[in-house]
Amino acid sequence: MFKIKFVLILFTGFLSCTALAQDTTDLMSQLEQEVSKDDKNNTNITTATFKTTRLVNGHTVENVGKGVLDFKISHRFGKVNGGGYDLFGLDNATMRMGFDYGITNRFMVGIGRSTFEKTYDAFFKIKLLRQSTGNKKMPLTVSYVPTIALKTLKSLEPDSKDYFSSRLFFTHQLIIGSKLSEQTSFQLMPTYSHRNLVTLVTEPNDLIAIGIGGRQKLSKRVSLNAEYYYQLPEYKLANTTNALSVGFDIETGGHVFQLHLTNSQGMSERTFITETTGKWDKGDIFFGFNISRVFTIGKRG
Amino acid sequence: MYKSLVVFINYIFFFASVAGAQVLNTSNGQINFRSDAPLELIKANTNEMRGKLDVGKKLFAFTAKINSFKGFNSPLQREHFNENYMESQLFPDASFSGKIIEDLDLTKDGTYTVRAKGKLMLHGIVQERIIKTELKVNKGTVSFKANFTVLLSEHNIPIPKVVHEKLASEIKVEVKADLVS
Repeated sequence: MFKIKFVLILFTGFLSCTALAQDTTDLMSQLEQEVSKDDKNNTNITTATFKTTRLVNGHTVENVGKGVLDFKISHRFGKVNGGGYDLFGLDNATMRMGFDYGITNRFMVGIGRSTFEKTYDAFFKIKLLRQSTGNKKMPLTVSYVPTIALKTLKSLEPDSKDYFSSRLFFTHQLIIGSKLSEQTSFQLMPTYSHRNLVTLVTEPNDLIAIGIGGRQKLSKRVSLNAEYYYQLPEYKLANTTNALSVGFDIETGGHVFQLHLTNSQGMSERTFITETTGKWDKGDIFFGFNISRVFTIGKRG
Repeated sequence: MYKSLVVFINYIFFFASVAGAQVLNTSNGQINFRSDAPLELIKANTNEMRGKLDVGKKLFAFTAKINSFKGFNSPLQREHFNENYMESQLFPDASFSGKIIEDLDLTKDGTYTVRAKGKLMLHGIVQERIIKTELKVNKGTVSFKANFTVLLSEHNIPIPKVVHEKLASEIKVEVKADLVS
């Protein structure tokens, strides 16, 4: 009787000991459990949906970080179908230079000046929603970008009265983007554009377009981008075409270099979305690039 | 006679198991690293390292989220650190787990220099490492500090040619934590 009791108690004591010992041998798996619990309680905001704030011509859902100044120089050369005489467009270039600055991680402002019709532009971009995983799940990033542009090219019709307001153009864009995987991101850009002055009575002042764009990473440092703006037929200017652009983002040690082909020579929203006249099938293709140099002014990231 | 023996043996097992289960924890350990290259100094740190130390068995395990590192020279640099170098989407954690080689009693107050032998996992690649660590035991809490280096090539993190002068091939790391029960 005593013997059985002895064996039993000994056995349970031994069991409790081994059970505890097993718990402690795998500290790492315990730790992993705690970490995965943490992950569920934390919200992880998706980063790097696109490499930079521009896809080709237009905006992406990306902002520059807080306290970061981004100096951008963009070039569009002449038409490739200009032939050897113009060295396939390299003789003629339009250029935009601009400064973008991040006031917070969700709010940035920018100004720029484009040689195309001597246009100044200014914009801000605010992230209304941010894609995230974890505790709070959000499948999309949504940004709002209003842009104002001022054309300062001298009027071609010296007889007509030149009002300051007739030189203004307004564009409002909603950018709805999603990082589908590490390699693939996609966005939609509904756009409304208003011009104070139109040349013909029949031309609309308000133009509406819907853009779609995306990127596919080809390697860690190179991605292929494309964007297309479809103008609603009732709300477009006569003889304009839809802007289609394809390009590459190449990361070179912290900076992004963008090379692209597009049928649009303008670089501000109202020009490439509403005033593109080039046709891809006719060879009205412009080769261009954007380079950016980033300066950190505020606190370190 | 039997009864007292049974009770005695059970006591032994009980105490052995309790002693073996004495595990200290931290959830705010610090990791600092620096890359000292000719053209650029990059520093970053996290204070969200989690860890466990089994005082009786002298076993330990530590882990930290790669995307919790902050303090880079620019937000873009942090993004590239996560996206291109550490690939934190694929390899979200760094960890070090193993055993203290020295035979010592971690329940006794004092300062000790020990060697921690274990598996260092970084960028999905595990390297067997022995890391010299200074331990301080004070009233049941254990504080430690360790300095070591990580060779990027050992963890399959290539340095592109264009940033050769801006990124050191050997990263200096400092880890500190206070473990409490």
